[in-house]
This record gives sequence, C-alpha cells and structure tokens, in this order.
Amino acid sequence: MRLRLSHLILLLLLPLISLPGCEQPQVEFVFSKKTNELVPEAAQPVKAALVRQFGNPFALTQFPELPTEFGDIQGAVKTVEPTGKDQPLIRFEATGLTDAYDKLQGLPLEWTSGKGQGQVSRVKEYNFETGMVAVEKSAEIDPQPGDTFLLKCVRLQYGRDLYNRHCMHCHGMSGEGTGPTSRYLNPPPRDFRLGIYKYTSTKSTSKAQVDDLGRTVKEGIAGTYMPSFKLLTDDEVSAIVNYVIWLSIRGETEKKLVDELFLDYSNKAMAERTSKDGGETREEVLEELKDFMEEDFPDTLEFATSSVSEAWEEANLEDALVIPRSARVADTPESRERGRKLYLSEKTKCASCHGPQGRGNGTATQDFWTNPATNEKYPNRGLHDIWGNQLPPRDLHRGIYRGGRRPIDTYRRLFAGIKGTPMPAFGGSLSDEELWDLVNYVMSLPYAGNR
Amino acid sequence: MGKGWCLFFLFWPVAAVVSCAMAPLVGWSFPYDNAQAASNLGIRIDGLFYLILVITAIVFVGTQAVLVYALWRGANNREERASYLHGNHKLELIWTIIPGIILLFLAIYQMDIWADFRIKKYYPEVAVKDPLAEVTARQFEWRFRYPAIGKKLQQKPQSDDLYSVNELHVPFGRPVLIQLRSEDVQHSFFMPALRIKQDALPGLQIPVWFEANKPGTYDLVCAELCGWGHYKMKAHVIVQSEDEYQNYLKNLTERQSYDGLGKIAATENGTESEATE
Amino acid sequence: MSVLNPSPTGLQPILKPLSHHAPGNFITKYIFSTDHKVIAIQFLFTTLLMMIVGGALALAVRWQLAFPWESMPIVGPWLFAAEGGQISPEFYTMLFTMHATVMIFLVIIPILAGTFGNFLIPLMIGADDMAFPKLNMLSYWFMWPAIACFGLSFTHAGGPASGWTSYPILADLAQASPGSGTAQTYWLLGVTFIGFSSMMGSINYMTTIINMRAPGMTFFRMPMTIWGLFITAILQAFALPVLTAGGFMQVTDRLLGTCFFYPSGLIINNAAPTVGGGQPLLWQHLFWFYSHPAVYIMLLPVMGMVSDMLSCMCRKPLFGYKPMVISMSAIASLGFIVWGHHMYTSGMNPAVGMAFMVATMMIALPSAVKTFNWTATIWGGKLEFNTVTLNCIAFLSMFIVGGLSGIFMAAVPVDVYFHDTYFIVAHFHYVLFGATLFGVFAAIQFWFPKMFGRMMNEKLGKTHFVLTFIGANGTFFPMHFLGMQGMPRRYADPYLHGYLEHLLPMNQFMTISAIIMGAAQILLFINIFYSMFWGPKAGRNPWNATTLEWAAPSPPGHGNFDFVPMVYHGPNEYALVNGDKDFLMQTEIECQPAKPKTETETTV
Repeated sequence: MRLRLSHLILLLLLPLISLPGCEQPQVEFVFSKKTNELVPEAAQPVKAALVRQFGNPFALTQFPELPTEFGDIQGAVKTVEPTGKDQPLIRFEATGLTDAYDKLQGLPLEWTSGKGQGQVSRVKEYNFETGMVAVEKSAEIDPQPGDTFLLKCVRLQYGRDLYNRHCMHCHGMSGEGTGPTSRYLNPPPRDFRLGIYKYTSTKSTSKAQVDDLGRTVKEGIAGTYMPSFKLLTDDEVSAIVNYVIWLSIRGETEKKLVDELFLDYSNKAMAERTSKDGGETREEVLEELKDFMEEDFPDTLEFATSSVSEAWEEANLEDALVIPRSARVADTPESRERGRKLYLSEKTKCASCHGPQGRGNGTATQDFWTNPATNEKYPNRGLHDIWGNQLPPRDLHRGIYRGGRRPIDTYRRLFAGIKGTPMPAFGGSLSDEELWDLVNYVMSLPYAGNR
Repeated sequence: MGKGWCLFFLFWPVAAVVSCAMAPLVGWSFPYDNAQAASNLGIRIDGLFYLILVITAIVFVGTQAVLVYALWRGANNREERASYLHGNHKLELIWTIIPGIILLFLAIYQMDIWADFRIKKYYPEVAVKDPLAEVTARQFEWRFRYPAIGKKLQQKPQSDDLYSVNELHVPFGRPVLIQLRSEDVQHSFFMPALRIKQDALPGLQIPVWFEANKPGTYDLVCAELCGWGHYKMKAHVIVQSEDEYQNYLKNLTERQSYDGLGKIAATENGTESEATE
Repeated sequence: MSVLNPSPTGLQPILKPLSHHAPGNFITKYIFSTDHKVIAIQFLFTTLLMMIVGGALALAVRWQLAFPWESMPIVGPWLFAAEGGQISPEFYTMLFTMHATVMIFLVIIPILAGTFGNFLIPLMIGADDMAFPKLNMLSYWFMWPAIACFGLSFTHAGGPASGWTSYPILADLAQASPGSGTAQTYWLLGVTFIGFSSMMGSINYMTTIINMRAPGMTFFRMPMTIWGLFITAILQAFALPVLTAGGFMQVTDRLLGTCFFYPSGLIINNAAPTVGGGQPLLWQHLFWFYSHPAVYIMLLPVMGMVSDMLSCMCRKPLFGYKPMVISMSAIASLGFIVWGHHMYTSGMNPAVGMAFMVATMMIALPSAVKTFNWTATIWGGKLEFNTVTLNCIAFLSMFIVGGLSGIFMAAVPVDVYFHDTYFIVAHFHYVLFGATLFGVFAAIQFWFPKMFGRMMNEKLGKTHFVLTFIGANGTFFPMHFLGMQGMPRRYADPYLHGYLEHLLPMNQFMTISAIIMGAAQILLFINIFYSMFWGPKAGRNPWNATTLEWAAPSPPGHGNFDFVPMVYHGPNEYALVNGDKDFLMQTEIECQPAKPKTETETTV
C-alpha cells in the first residue's frame, strides 16, 4: 500500500470544501403550550393562520393590519442574468436597494410591474456589494429589466437581526423567554407573548408605550440580568422594540385564538366529551369543530388581530400616559412621615407584602396564593406574577429601582401598579399628595442609615 | 532541498517584520486616532512599549537572521564532519551579561512609570481629595454614581447621588479618581484609549486615577471573564471640558429628580445619550 | 574493550535476572501494563485523542470569532436547532474553557511527562524500568477518571464556564455563571485527578533518575532530555500540592460553604447576599503559584528534547551543555517567584508587582541563553533537513517570538494594557503551540522508531510540518495585532464594540489558517498509523545518535537492554572521528581512529 501525496491533499481539502455548504437551518416560531394541547384538528388551523400572518424567523411575513413598521423598499430590475434550465434561482441586478439594509435574504418581494405583477417571491440570496438578488424560479414570474418590485419587512428584518444578536439568547427566538441562556437567570427573562410589560408609563389598563420599551432596552433593569444597551443607537433600539412588539402581537393573537378553542377542543376536553359522561363521539366533536372553523374562525382571527393591534395603538396615545396632577410634594421629613403612616395604614396595605420595615417580608409572603388563571393554589408560598414565577416583594432598602429611579417612575408604579404582578394600582384610591408622600418615604428608605 | 528550507524559514520572519512595519499604516495599532493615547501617562506607557518593541525587533531580526544563516551554512556544509565544539565560555558570558544588562535596564527604567501609575503615595492629590465617581461593575453593565453637585463622594450611597449606566462622563485636563468596585464577580475596568486596566475585585474598593488630555468618546470594556455576557459589558467614557461636564451633571440632576411635569416633559422618555451627541 | 565481551553492539550481554517478570497475557501486557514503554504508548494515544478533542474545541471557538452568531457547523444544528444553529454565549465560554483545559491538562502535560518522560527516562539512563512500575501504571489510569470528570462536566451539567483559570467568584458560586453549578465541581475533581496522576509520575521520575542511572551515568553525563524531565518533575512535585490544596478549598467553598474565596455581601443573579469574609485574590495566588511553574512544566522537557535532537541532526555536540543545564535550573527556580506577573492588574499591592516585574525580567535571561546556545549548536553543523530538524527549527524560531513577546508582558505598565487581550493569547500560543507542540512533533518523529521499530514517513511528515507551520503562524501572529488594538480575550462577539468592529476580516483570516492547521493534523494521524504497520523497519540506531536508548533494540523488549549499559561519555559526542562514524555513543569507551575499511569489517 502506498499513499500518494495528491490523495492526501484532497483528503485535507475535504473539510474546507464542506464549509460553504453549511446553510441556515430551518427555524420556526414556537407555539404556546396551550396551542399544543389542542386536538390536532384545532391546532392546525391556528398554526397555519399564525404562519400566514407572521411567517417564521427567517421568512418574515408582512401583514398590513398590524401597528408595526414593516419598512417597504422600492426596487427595480436593472439586468437579468440568463438562467439555465436546471438552475432553481433567477438572478438579477437590482437598483434602489443601496440605502436599505445589507441583509435581505428571506424577505418577501412583491412584483409591482411586469409579467409577475402581484406575485410574491422570496429573496434567496443577496449581495450588498453588487446588488445581485436571487429569487426562486417560478412559472408566474419573468423579471425583465425595468420591472419594479417592493421589498417588504426590511425594517422588521433589521430588528430581527439585532434582536437575534443582542436579545435572543435569553428571550428566545419567538420572544417566549426560553432562549438557551434563560435557564440560568433569575428572574427569568420576560415572555413577550402575553404582551404585558412591567415598567411602563401608562395607566394600569394600557399596554406599554414604545418609549417605555426603548427606555428599558437603553437603561437595562437594575437588579436583573437585563443589561443596559445604552450604546445601541436610537435607530437600532427602535428597530428592536418594533420587532419585540411584533413578537408580542403574534403571541397575543395566538393566545386569543387558543382561548377561544381551548374550552371545547383541547385534548383534555376531547377526552371528557368522548368519555361515558360526555356521551359524544370523536366524529361529532370534529364535525362541530369543522363547522366552527368554517363559519366563525375567520372572524375570530380578524377580531383577535384587530383588538391586539388597537390595544398597542392606544397605548401610544397621549391619554394612556400617567401624568401627575400636581407637582412633587417637597421631600421633607414631614412628608416622609406622612408617607410612612400611609405605608403602614390599612388603606394601602403596603406592609402586608413589603413588610413593616420595607424589607420585602410582609405576612403575605407566607401565604399560599391562588393562581388567577387556573384558580388553583400555587405550590409555593408567596406572591407570583402572571407568568407563574415566584415574585418576592421588593426590598425597599436596596436602592435598586428596576423601573427607573426618578420620582416619576416610583409615582407611576404606585399610580398604575406593576402590570402582571400583584402590585395594585393606587391611582384611584389615593390623592396626588398622598402618592407623593409615599414616593418620598419609599425613596428615602435606602439612605436611612447612610449619613 | 536544504536551501529551499532555509528560504522557508527566512520567509516567515520577513513576513512578520513586513506586517509589523505596515501595521501602523493600515491601522493595526493602538486604537483611536493615530494610535495615540489620550492621557500623558498613556503616552509614556506607549513610549515604553515602543522602546521594548525596538529592542525586541532588533533581537528578533538578529536571532532569526543568524538562525537562517546558520541553517544556510549547515545545509551547504561540504565538510565531512561538523565542527567539534562543546561551547565557549567567553561567548556564554557575553550573551548572558548583555541581555542581562538590557533586561535590568528595562526593569529599572519602567519603575517610575509604574510608581506614578499605581503606587498610592504618588497619586495626584487633587484627585484623591475629591473622587469623581464610584464605578460599580455588575453582570453585565457598568453603573456609575456621582456625588451631587458641590458635594463629595461618600462611601455609602446618598439620597442625592447621581446615577448613570454605561456612560461615564469625565472632564479632561485634571486628574480624576474613581472608586472601583464590583457587585458580584470579578470584572476589569479597561479603557484602551487611556491604557488603563484595573480589576474590580468583589469586596474591595480600588481607587484608580487617570487624566485624559483631550476630549472624545472612548470605549470602556470588561477585560476579566465575568460570565456568559462578558462581551456585553459595553460602555462609553465621554471625556469633555469641565464646563460640559458640569452641564452634564446639571442635566443629570434635573432628569433624575423629574416628577413628570414641567419643562423636560416633552423629552421625558428621551434617553441620556442625546445629551452626549 | 577489555572489560566488555563483544556483542552485536560491542557490548556485554545481559546476565542479571530481570527485576520483575515479563508480562504474560494480553491484558497485563497491553492494558494494565507496568512496562514503562507500554504506558508511554498508552499516554501517547490518549493524548493524541485528546488533541483531536481540544483542536475541535479550538476550531469551534475560532468559528464563532470569524462568523459570529452564524450557524456553527455540526454543533449548531445539533445543540441549538431552535436558534437556527446560533450558539449561546455561555456555550462559547464553555468552549474556550474546555479547549484550555483539554490542551493543558490532557494533552501537553501528559504528552511530555507521560509519554516522553515514561518512554525516555529508563532508556536514556540505562535502567530496565521505572523505580515504581505499579505507581507508573496508576499514573496513567488516573488520567481516565479525570477525562471522565471533564466529560461529565460537559454532558451532565452543561460544562464549566469560568475559564481554565477558574477564578472565583465566578467559579465559586453556583449562581454566578452558567456552568458554575455541578459542572465546576466535576471540573475541579478532574483537575485533582490529573494532579494525582502528574504527582505519581513526578515522584517516579525523580526516584528513577536519582537512583537508577546506569554505571557511569553521572548527573553531568545525562542527556538534556533527562535534565528537562528531571527539573520538570521537581517543579511539579513542589508546585502541584498548592494547586491541589487550592482546588480542594474551592470544592469546599462550593459544597460546604467555607468562604475561602468570597467576601460577604455580594448579590449575584438576584440571590440573597452572600455571607463570607474570604478573598478572591487568594485563589489567584494559589492558582498561579502552580500555573506559572506549569508553563515551564510544559516547556522544559521540550527544551531538553530539542537540545538532543538538534545536536543529533546537526551532527555536532550541544553548544554549552553546562550553561544549558544551569539556565534550565535557573528558569525552574525563578519560575517559582514570578507568579505575580499574572496578577499585575488584579488589585494586588502594586509595589509587590514591581518585585515580580524584576524577577520576570530576569527569567527572560536563561531563556535567551538557551536560544543562543541552540543557534550556536546549529552554527557549523552539518544539517539534514528531515522532519525532525524542521520541527526543531520551527520550535526555535517560534520560541523566539513567544519569548520576546513575553518581555512586553513582563513590563508592568505595558502589561496593564496587554493583560487579558489577544496579545497574551498570541504569546502563550507561540510558546505552547509554536514551541512545545512543534517540539513534540519532532520528538514523535524522532523516537517513533524506538517506540514501534519502524520509521515514520518523511513526505507525510514534511507536508504536515509545512501546513502546520503556515497555519500556526497565520493563526497566531495576527493575534498580536488584535491585542494591540485592544481586543479582549474570551469575547463571544467582540464586534459589538465600536473600536473592534473592523477586526472581523482579520479574524476570518485567522480562522481559515486555523482550519488549515487543524486539517493538517489529519496527516499526522495518518502518518502515525500508517508507519506503525507499514513503515520501513528501523535498526537500533537509525539516526546515528549517541544516547543510551539507541543502543537498545528497536523496539526494546521487556527490561529494555540486552546488555549491561555502561556510560563513558557525555551525551552529545558528535563530529568526531570514530572509525567511519562521526559519533561516539555513550556506551562506547573511546574513539577509534579512522581505519581502512577492511579492518573495520573484521571488528564487526
């Protein structure tokens, strides 16, 4: 046996050759646990609807009804490369894309003139330097020089790329809060799919403002693993927030659809209905489901989408913002004392959770609480948030203010409560002066012994 | 064949020297404008670096040249036998003593710089008397605490302290001192532009002084592995004039005591970076 | 020649009984063997296997640096399918932690002490085996629990993520970092096992070298290889207990809450403040007290082996044998008082830093002397450019770079800038890869005939050398520039930082070089396995070398020598007239003047 050098060099080159062959694996947005508990016949249309409206992480879809900045870009074909019969892609040089983002792969491309007018292709390859675009070949389209097209979701994709670089490891590909790093974090990263954010400037019933999310991204959340991304530019932050809200909308739409179906068509419901007591057959249930899908589901879907969208739009209106009716009461010992009395009073019951000393160890932390979603007791003592995580009341002596350390931030926490947590809104029950007294008292606690 | 190998071993030191020589031209040098440090001490440190660079470059070129020449001779040795030589005391002495002197010189030469840099006795008095801020590193961000305008930094936080995150403002033209601490694990305060690096050690407060000599925005990064997000510890140090610095503090005070009403209401959700650009 | 009876080598046949019985069955012969040669070969294959693992980890690290957050081949789709193959940042920290751990503890230290120490010490000093053969076997088998621990650390608990330096508090408290849970405990156990293994080895080597030298083998007739291994064994015996103690303290910190290394009041990962009263710097002192000498543990044996190989390949006595021995001892003794140069920026007393700086500057001196001596050895030699020579010269050439970049690091003010940047990474890769591994490649090629009785393929060896040399320089030289531009180590995504954004192309170039270098190692493996079975047969002394092992058969049988080895000379007697040979073996009494050919034949 003799080894030839040339064979060996070939062998050496093998790993190198295999490298360019690596392609982006297919990834899908995940569906919630509840969706997966539906009977397959009910889950399938829900999933299909979501994919239709939102696409997948590497193939985003534009759905114009949403309050999202998708970012369309107008382009035109300059020259078309001749394609052979077997080649699956059509390549052409495009103009008008230079100002756009440099990664356009996966975006939908809608033809606005020429033979394929109205058709939507997907960008398979894009070279920023040369302006070459490749789309999949199909019978309907035949790009000619001069044809125009619209590239959709460019802004959203920009946000996605930033999100995948900066946020995805914790918050997950679908904003579900279970990225690979999340399992090491305490508190766990936010699940965006409920559309609820804690630290907002809005009233207790409103969603978060775009600026609130932007501020959280920029300032971070002290005391948690959410770091400050202050050095991202404003444009980058707004693109990220745009994408995050879009993820929220997707999650909320999913939740609304599933809630509609869950009572009747979950695996559990199916088992009950087809059991002896239920007395129905599986076919009957499926027949009923089919009727529902044909008659009511489109409306349900449309209502879910529009109600979620409206809620997000409303949150950004002037009305949603919490603005104090009077200026801050001077931070005097008297004011703090009044605040302290209020803190301990029956009117606010602050002490029941935060403890008489503000150490976060009130009596409520020793009780078993009921989960409002399931009406069952939590397995652990203490307070829980809407995401089901245990939530110790804040130790007010730590000097860590997750939602910001300005007086107005604390005011808003008191006025509107903290969304998704047992912290109630006092805007209705306390006067402005009382709220400010409380603010003064709470904000003096960390420094009580420091002089 | 032997000559080919000599060229092979000649090729790489030449490539190394060439790439080093062209490095400053293509920007493979110290970061920021013209690779110059933004502090006088930094410039002195760079001077030391260049001194060592020159010495090592001479040694590198010398040893590699002699090596390749020796190889060349060895490859073309037409003698029947190599030369029988067990050593040479004189040579050994020469090449022990000369590098010894150079190394000792380097060691003594840099002591001044190090003393000015880190030995507490030599810290500038102005800076020690009135520390600028407390820098707290935590996973994975930098948090800064300045004393209120007109007050001195206290060991423990005060109610009127000013806070910011990932953005440190520093006046130039005077030495400043920061108190460096860590809230959780070990971090390292690394400002490439000022050639400053100091680990933030949990449980200790380490004073670090520096004096920037020109305005600019410089990166502050973490240089000690601090967990999965080590690379995320990204902050700016904004070096500005004394006036601008005081203005910044005023703005910060105003913003931090904002009660939701009044003048800055329009930009209330605006972020602090606006003030810096 | 009057004292010795003639034999094939001109030496006296062995008469005395063997100290222990030759092994009988397959298991005692090849698996639980007490024969130092078999153990050495076991070490060789184990470390080569681990080199594949460590190299793969390095390539994964490089992939992330060149193509950040892009789907990592093989690993990405396998472990991170839901993220599109994009690895997570903590996985990156695990990758470089394990790369360093595997390369240091499972490749370089065992391949030097384990493989070459075991194989060469008895052969080169003329002993029939190690002083403690069973201990020797144990030292190999203690590697496997260590490998198991490191493996478990990865599979069972996610992998340690606090770097091979394992600095507290990151490594001390489970909540400080992903992978600081059970994984870190396993990791510490693994290091302890490896420590046991090395300790048993080093005791054995010291005893063997001191007590079992052949008659006539005085200390200053020992080959440089033996000196290197001897000094390494001493270093290890003194430094290792400190690491073991430190590691044990960290384990008790983690499991029993002893608070050696963490102060009170830290709030990590939103957990309750820690109790404590410990000092994180303590760990750094303990750790570097071992790990700085460990650098020399990874270097001195290679220095010794290269001295012997160079002298043989240049057909010339080693230039300055005694200065070489003295400088080696100086490196070893100074090596104990320079550990603080890893801690200039750590918050240690700056005045102490100054003392460490002077000591560190001084340790450059013996290294310089050695470099000059090697160059002088080549000067006037008669070279044959075979794979061994090439690898030895690569060792020398790259050791110069590694040594010179060390001077920047020794200078405290400059080190403050370069500490924990890629400049450091360049420095220690030039030393550990550039110097140590090239020395190891040379040594494998050189002693392969003695191990397996067959020569390695030259063509394959040279191709491997060229590709590795180009790949290594392409990978590690640009790291100096990265360091100068202030790119910190251990960053999963350095390009987040504005001043590092433009470094991506350079990193891509380095990654491509690294892939070439990694692929080149396939050649080494092909060469080893091909030559083991089909290489040309080697005689007793294929290289015309002088030291004792070349007088033994290839491969040596059980008990090594088929004659009583007696030593009459120093180790590197080349370039003299000895019959028609230009070398004088240590076993030969004296030079024979050149004789006409016919007469020489009669003596054989």
